[in-house]
Amino acid sequence: MTNSIREIRDADCIFITGSNTAEAHPVISYEVVRAVKKGAHLIIIDPRRIPLVDHATLFLQPHPGTDIYVFLAMMHVIIREGWMDETFIAERTEDYDAFAVILEGYTPERAALASGVPEEKIIQAARWYALGERAHGESIYGEAHGHSTILYAMGITQRSNGTDNVLTLANLSMLCGQIGKPSTGVNPLRGQANVQGACDVGGLVNVLPGYQQVTDDKLRGETAKTWEVEKLPCNVGLTIVESTHAALAGEVHAIYVMGENPLMSDPNSNHVEQAFRKLDLLIVQDIFPSETAYLAHVLLPAASSLEKDGTFTNTERRVQRIRKVISSPGEALADWAIIADIAARVTQKLDRKPGPEAWKYDSASSIFDELTLVTPIYSGMSYDRLEPSGLQWPCPSETHPGTPILHVDTFARGQGKFHAVEARDPAEMTDEEYPLTLTTGRVLYHYHSGTMTRRSAPLHWREPRGYAEINPQDAEALGLKDGFAVIIHSRRGTVRTKTKISDGVPPGTVFLAFHWREAPANRLTQDHTLDPVAKIPEYKISAIRLENPRAR
Amino acid sequence: MITLSIDTKTIQVAPDTNVLKAALDNGIHIPHLCYHPELSISGGCRLCLVEVEGQDQPVLSCGLTAAEGMVIQTQSEQLKELRRGVLDLFISDHPLDCVVCDKAGSCTLQEYAYEYGLKETSYEPTVSSTLFQDDNPFFLRDHQYCILCGRCVRVCDEIVGVHAIDFANRGFETNIATPYDGPMIDSTCVFCGNCVQVCPTAALMPVSRLQRGREWDLDRTLSVCGYCGVGCQIEYATKDDDIIYAQAPEHGTANGPFLCTKGRYGWDFATNPERLKQPMLRRDVAHELGLSEEPWELPETSPLDIRKPNVEQYFVPVDWDTALEFVSSRLSEITESHGPDSIMGLASARCTNEDNYLFQKFMRAVIGTNNVDHCARL
Repeated sequence: MTNSIREIRDADCIFITGSNTAEAHPVISYEVVRAVKKGAHLIIIDPRRIPLVDHATLFLQPHPGTDIYVFLAMMHVIIREGWMDETFIAERTEDYDAFAVILEGYTPERAALASGVPEEKIIQAARWYALGERAHGESIYGEAHGHSTILYAMGITQRSNGTDNVLTLANLSMLCGQIGKPSTGVNPLRGQANVQGACDVGGLVNVLPGYQQVTDDKLRGETAKTWEVEKLPCNVGLTIVESTHAALAGEVHAIYVMGENPLMSDPNSNHVEQAFRKLDLLIVQDIFPSETAYLAHVLLPAASSLEKDGTFTNTERRVQRIRKVISSPGEALADWAIIADIAARVTQKLDRKPGPEAWKYDSASSIFDELTLVTPIYSGMSYDRLEPSGLQWPCPSETHPGTPILHVDTFARGQGKFHAVEARDPAEMTDEEYPLTLTTGRVLYHYHSGTMTRRSAPLHWREPRGYAEINPQDAEALGLKDGFAVIIHSRRGTVRTKTKISDGVPPGTVFLAFHWREAPANRLTQDHTLDPVAKIPEYKISAIRLENPRAR
Repeated sequence: MITLSIDTKTIQVAPDTNVLKAALDNGIHIPHLCYHPELSISGGCRLCLVEVEGQDQPVLSCGLTAAEGMVIQTQSEQLKELRRGVLDLFISDHPLDCVVCDKAGSCTLQEYAYEYGLKETSYEPTVSSTLFQDDNPFFLRDHQYCILCGRCVRVCDEIVGVHAIDFANRGFETNIATPYDGPMIDSTCVFCGNCVQVCPTAALMPVSRLQRGREWDLDRTLSVCGYCGVGCQIEYATKDDDIIYAQAPEHGTANGPFLCTKGRYGWDFATNPERLKQPMLRRDVAHELGLSEEPWELPETSPLDIRKPNVEQYFVPVDWDTALEFVSSRLSEITESHGPDSIMGLASARCTNEDNYLFQKFMRAVIGTNNVDHCARL
């Protein structure tokens, strides 16, 4: 997030798209509810009628994959009506002209045709967002224009044009000067406890800790020096989905999986399974025998986050301490202890420098201290400084208070760059054979592949089994009633589950969460066309067909 | 800023601040039951009365906006008597069974009864006609203990935004109910338990907490939730290495005093019997290494299609040294025979920064590959 969670309550206009906030990030939805109760406008753009729509002052429901037409048309209207922030554009940004030219063709009429969203709603959303208008009450900021904030999540990014979608939202915020101030910004809500931190400390194929490019000789050299190694690899590595392709092609021979369940969470599960079966070595280090574990050669029992010390970094870039609450069962060990042991042994066997002693760590805190040496955005942090409420990166020095709001005076790259983005269709469009669109996501009571939540008694009681949400129109066409069995086919595979007939999805769209091992949604999703930059799979859009088994 | 005096202390507060908040924020305690700093003002409990210079009658401090030059007294004989009177009414229909109550030690009514020396009610004790409702495994609703402060109703509406409960009936029959008093699961309730968190008495209690130890026997550890990326701080109450219940700390950094259902109730996975407790080698690998006699082959059934997965059918337990030696030998062999880029590492968004840092350092500095990714995209 460019901004902080607790600023949301003071926003004048909140624009949520591609985030089912009340189910996937409930505590952030509390902030949204508070703002709306005080008079903020809430604009939701989503193909599904998500629970927060109950509080929305404006709901735009585009057909899946067409939201970008709506965003582009909003900006078209903003420029046409002169609602943009010309001072911000002139002083803080570049490449505006090339971007503005492209928008000329994206009229609200065109967007309405493509997305099914009425023109008036697009114009209304554009005005409220650009000018930060409220439904009632007074802005705490007392400025000419109110403060508008954008919240988004995987509905925007898990798309073959995910990067374009994000750039478009960034363009929108810069166009209106709704960034770099409290209660504004472009705010991705991140889905997992430490997904931000795992990225920050280098759990990505192209960057070392602190987002330092692996291809940058100077930065790589500095990290190598601190680690006392001769050299570090300089080519960008394989992403998750690429690695399964490479395993099938016989290029990847071993996969070491720590705390993940790719068989459930990666697209095209059947493909993932074939790839994993081909491996010479699959190591699974986890707290439970996940579905993936049943293909592993070796299982290493790990401590859960309730059983160890360390730090998590949340979606607002806040690094916070986690503490050991209870003991681990049996012989389970903290992940870092397992890795350090393996690393020391491999160092010995491969005769790597600086030798196995370098892998002796006595505590999580000593690892954190080392981490801050190679992670510039964390360099002013220590366990002591993280008391009591953590620090938000960048925190470059020991006296730096952390950064609640990014891009206040300048953007990370200097001037904010407008990207001239064109609308693009999803990779897999519906056709005669597969006439419906499947979209995947989460439900409130479960988390990711269900490894933890499906083993929690109260959560299991509330939501014991999977279901596909189907619009009454589509259900009726197939003679399906609520709670009936239904078979979902895509080009990749077949899943059988129960129906939940619901207006929450529009006609033509089916929702299936990816928590259910008995109805694994990712047997249906595609892994052939990823976003070209982020390499993210298009989980939100797959072409499918429904079958009523009673009609056979 | 507004300057006022409370108990002779000079205090500066922002405009539109109520006197109760002004006092509490400055370390002056005024008793209150229905007021909650994150919720709207109700004024129903009548406990936060104060004396205002120039006014004949005591005033509710929660509903009184601080004004320039205001002089407030929060303690006096008159106020003590008035508050005693209010508390006397509260305890007239509240069971005084603190000796067996799980809330004892953190019950606000108990605290005030102690402070104002009320051992019993001077009225004829009456019990609520509505009994307890245990219709869900998250929390218990015991109406006898309810003082109708309405905090639960307000948090459900104003913060969570689902408005699953409200006041029902009138007079002595008033209770907090779902529409038509139906089961919780049929209401709009999302089982976040924020009502439980703000309840000052034992009317709303986590099921996991019942009869599991007195408040003062519990240890408390502040940590961060392991589910989504909001990073809510959670205070876990434990006893003998078991989690008894979880709640938000008073001032969670990202979450304030609130949580969602997964954070508050979804921690019991940790003690599920299916947890991996020992390193394990797959049966064919174990056989290859001479650790198991029977030959074995990985079944063709997809793990997604195994009806009742049983890890022991596939794996044999081994000691850590065997497992780590196996892993490190095989990784070393593959690195040497097929090159570092033939190895892929999947780090984890559910592990700590320290875990992930070491993981990628191992892949980069020891194996020698940038093939390290995690579920950020999933």
